Amino acid sequence: MADEARKKEILEKLRNGVIQYDEDACREGANEAVAEGLDANEAIFDGLVSGMEEVGRLFEAQEYFVPEILMCADALYAGLDILKPHCKQMDLGVKGSVVIGTVEGDVHDIGKNLVKMMFDVAGFHVYDLGRDVPLDKFVDEQLKTDSELVCLSAMMTTSMVGMPKVIEKIKAKNPNCMIMIGGAPTSKDLADKWGADGYAEDASNALKEAIKMVAFLKKLRDEKAAKQ
Amino acid sequence: MNSRERVLKLFKKEAIDRVPCFSGMGNITETGINGLGYKFAGIHLDAKQMADTAATTYKLFGYECGVMPVDLCVEAEAMGCVINVYPHAEGILYPTIKEKLIHNEAEMDTIKIPDGFSEKGRIPLMREAIKLLKADIGNDVAVGSYVLGPFTLAGQIMELNDLLKLSFKKADKVAKLLDLCADAIILTAKEFEKAGVDYITVREMGATSDVLSPRVFKNLIMPPLQKVIKAISCHTVLHICGKTNDIVTFMVEAGPTAISVEQKNDVAESRKKLGNDALIFGNVDAYNVLVSGSEDLVRSTVRKCIDDGVSAVWPGCDIWPTVPPQNMKAMIDETITYGGKK
Repeated sequence: MADEARKKEILEKLRNGVIQYDEDACREGANEAVAEGLDANEAIFDGLVSGMEEVGRLFEAQEYFVPEILMCADALYAGLDILKPHCKQMDLGVKGSVVIGTVEGDVHDIGKNLVKMMFDVAGFHVYDLGRDVPLDKFVDEQLKTDSELVCLSAMMTTSMVGMPKVIEKIKAKNPNCMIMIGGAPTSKDLADKWGADGYAEDASNALKEAIKMVAFLKKLRDEKAAKQ
Repeated sequence: MNSRERVLKLFKKEAIDRVPCFSGMGNITETGINGLGYKFAGIHLDAKQMADTAATTYKLFGYECGVMPVDLCVEAEAMGCVINVYPHAEGILYPTIKEKLIHNEAEMDTIKIPDGFSEKGRIPLMREAIKLLKADIGNDVAVGSYVLGPFTLAGQIMELNDLLKLSFKKADKVAKLLDLCADAIILTAKEFEKAGVDYITVREMGATSDVLSPRVFKNLIMPPLQKVIKAISCHTVLHICGKTNDIVTFMVEAGPTAISVEQKNDVAESRKKLGNDALIFGNVDAYNVLVSGSEDLVRSTVRKCIDDGVSAVWPGCDIWPTVPPQNMKAMIDETITYGGKK
């Protein structure tokens, strides 16, 4: 096990690799973390995710825009792919699976992919239905996988109107399932009106919401660890 | 002064009796489609059905224009993309691109505009539809059409994800592709002009400052956009979605007759920035106000838009077809009663 100073150095490398969209640095940092026996979950949360939080902040401050975020996401995945096989299964008391996709009539999937990334990071099992997904497929997939979360995304006003139908159908069959909607034309009002549990209007907000959700899970994990 | 004269005078910045209520983007309604006995999926593929439907928003509600097409895939389809009109959908689904033309970075260099472009895809159908619409309501209202902006078209013919990253990493390559897209758009717009449209809206929806920095907008998006607008001889409106307050000056610099913005733009601020002479359209929330809002909300929104200084009451996006008829009537009625007072 590396000493504290070295550990900090590796975490910093992962964090900065994400912020500076440097895939090589993330790969290198991840390999070092594995070789030197760093806890993979810690490397992910305190390195990669911590970097992504800063990216979210830079986006909000309008220093970063969508192209930068996409490159940061590539860097995060470069590290995550290496670290993931070394992760301990997080026991969070939830099954941790999510169905995610862009609704039929919409072929935009950038926001959806960013949210998916944060679920990947959190160790969720992600059932990614892709884009232009027929509405009934969300309902079927939720039932089939018994996922506790369904995320619906749309970037065009012309496609988001399919959302309430899916929400209604899923809630009718499985009232406890949480539903998050997102995309440029959605709003808090619409989410409330349609009975969704969460909403994110753009990639940055989706990222923030997902980070919040993941941060919450991390807190649960830490609390659990502290009790043991 | 009839609606046509009012709109055309507005474009020429001549005196008019009140602000008009019209749009350069999609505005067909389910009320209109059902009244004709048509199906949404069918009207994209039939010139007569498209023209008939486009005329209903004027005929039923007095909306002061006729606009076609209904979807956003005309140019990409003519370039060679396969589109999906969702023929079996129960509800309303707008056509999307099923197959991209560019699958990897290398193909960005080899792509070409197909020979005989003006006869490809639905461009002949569009010419026919515009003529039919002109013959039907062309004496009463201005007839408009729209094309995409080069960046938005590029995002249809290749993965948007890749396009965005490359516009950062390899701006030169993207600039070349955008220039080619601009040429395809110009060819399309020329055909619409020949068929007799009075104005063309250029929809550069993907280039909003929600997505790209104002710097990238200026360096990469502007040059091909300027090229398109310059090449169109009829009146032009440049529309960009999302937060546009930071780029309204660039939008005007791109050279259109008017600019169009959605509800995320603070029009009072834009008006201050651009002065009294600029034509600013838009700002009516096409979904949350027009479709799901009450009549009162529609009326108060129209008044606010006019107070903030719009030159025309104009929904900031395509009107979703399930718009309640009473809301359409309220928008137009409020424009007529309030729009002359300013």
